[in-house]
Amino acid sequence: MMTTQATAGTRRALLVSLALLLVSGTAAVAADSMSVSQELDTEYYYVAGAHTRGAGDVDENAADVRYVVSPQVTNNLLLRIGAEWQRYDFGVSEHAPVPDLLQEATLVLGFDYQFADQWIMRAEVQPGVYSDFRDTGWNDVDAPLTLAAVYLRNADLQWFLGLYVDVRSEYPVLPFAGVRWKYSDQWTLNLVLPNPRLEFEVTDGLLLYFGMDVSDGTYRMGNTFGSDRGEPKLNGAIVDFLEFRFGPGCSWRVIPNVTIEAEAGLMPFRSLDYFDANQESRSYDAPYGQIAVHARF
Amino acid sequence: MRRLASHLVVVIGAILVSSALAQTRDPVEAMKSFADFQSVNLDRLLSGEILVERGGLMDFPSGICGQTCFAVPLSAEETAKRLQVWDPTPHADLQVYAFHELPVPCGPADFQKLDFRSSSYSIRWLLEKSAATTGSKSDLNVSRDEAAALAACLQRRTDPPLATRCWAALLGNRAARFQQDGVDGALPYEVGPGGHISPIHLLSNMISEQTPIAHEFFPLLKKIGLIGRPAPPLLTPFYYWSFFDADHHGTISLGAVYLLAQDGRYLVADVEYYVSDQYFTSATLCEIWPIQAGGKPAALVWRGDYFSAPVLAFTKGTERIAYGALMMQDIKRETHDFQTDQGMK
Repeated sequence: MMTTQATAGTRRALLVSLALLLVSGTAAVAADSMSVSQELDTEYYYVAGAHTRGAGDVDENAADVRYVVSPQVTNNLLLRIGAEWQRYDFGVSEHAPVPDLLQEATLVLGFDYQFADQWIMRAEVQPGVYSDFRDTGWNDVDAPLTLAAVYLRNADLQWFLGLYVDVRSEYPVLPFAGVRWKYSDQWTLNLVLPNPRLEFEVTDGLLLYFGMDVSDGTYRMGNTFGSDRGEPKLNGAIVDFLEFRFGPGCSWRVIPNVTIEAEAGLMPFRSLDYFDANQESRSYDAPYGQIAVHARF
Repeated sequence: MRRLASHLVVVIGAILVSSALAQTRDPVEAMKSFADFQSVNLDRLLSGEILVERGGLMDFPSGICGQTCFAVPLSAEETAKRLQVWDPTPHADLQVYAFHELPVPCGPADFQKLDFRSSSYSIRWLLEKSAATTGSKSDLNVSRDEAAALAACLQRRTDPPLATRCWAALLGNRAARFQQDGVDGALPYEVGPGGHISPIHLLSNMISEQTPIAHEFFPLLKKIGLIGRPAPPLLTPFYYWSFFDADHHGTISLGAVYLLAQDGRYLVADVEYYVSDQYFTSATLCEIWPIQAGGKPAALVWRGDYFSAPVLAFTKGTERIAYGALMMQDIKRETHDFQTDQGMK
């Protein structure tokens, strides 16, 4: 409980701080386009029918659109303000204990700060609705927080450390670490979540890679989700979603600030864990295809 | 026009007077008058500390800058002279394949040590990009005439000795023109990744934008011609060419290092008037003051780096901060190597 209160307090303080920074920063931000950067990330993938106990073969369509604008407030501080929409559609029969939809519509609020010569940190909170979008209400609102820092050892080696905090999850605090190491002229070990990869630079604009994608999130189900499936204990349940995908892909920088990625491979494991109800639905081994577009301007 | 000229004389005079006044002050106070370092501990600098400060956003997209402050256990005059001619090749961490002084006048024969015979990816990369150059298209920073000459000379071959001959002709011509005409002789880039680019105009704009620093270095910048017309008597710089790895790509540069002694301090400017790829140009400005370390002469050095690269136009936000931070790490490493060569423990 103390953790929940402390986290909620931290979130409120962070939001207030960000609002104050935004107000004071707007005046300070020059009209110069270099002082404002924008990120647009879009992704779509399809996982073919994956064997799921009690639900048969479940296929999946997923889409994600994220836009963030970053005004530079001081030489060391950038705000991050934006929005994200993410959606997972599962092809299931009406009575399977698998939702046909998990969705989030959130704001992105945060900042990046260089606090030492070789360290940059990011604090980002994503308040919004995380649910199956049935009986949507305040109970569906969540605000997971990401705290991360990167140590810039040199141009070829960077270390990442962080915490992901979501008080509704079974695991409310998850630490993570990663490294990006360009260990030869063309090979880079890019072990940073959610897309750890081994990359090979074919040309200046073309990259081949083999890696993993991790999709996850915590959502609240509708008030009749369980009853509709003959399992009332799942009504209003919180579900932790986790999915891994492994496969090769390519990344093509079409123009200097736009990159297109395409990959395909195997989804070996997917979990929908209704941990409060002590029930979990697992899916295994299905092929997938994915495409993404990333723009920085 | 005459009124404008008289205003300019007054402004320049005021700048020179204020610069002269600055010299009567303590070196640390003099540095604080134009630099970003407001807290400087000489004892720590003399024990090897290097202060770094990443610069802020600049008015044009491809520019980035930063400042460094350090000490050297040699007199200011000796430090300035060694900064002017320092050879980084003994330091493997800097990945400089070759660094050579250019005589005056110079010609293609002075580039015969440019060696492409290597299995190194970065050197092969430059060889392949050279061979792929046509009269109208190249990934390298070359003029239209140079692109045509390189294409005709190499004829799409990646033969290392031939590449040495072709590049020697290109570099010899560029260096000779610069030696003859100064900054006015620096040819533009015309068919490379940035379109039509004048490296000297980029440098001039970058430095002019940093008003306190442009004022501080006005006597030297004026003599070089980076601010206004070159003012006689002109300085004779140390001319050099170098071949190095820049972000895993082989890169050739031509530079000139100018030194001006002024009221007990020394001003140094290293101007890269040609860079083959990865970035357009760079300038390093240093001001060196005499200080004492345990009764022995030593030098306090302020260094400013100005760097223009095509990738920066698309590098914004946190990525740009990271880029700047990494650039400062590189400069810090280079500075440390220079200090080590001068006997700094």
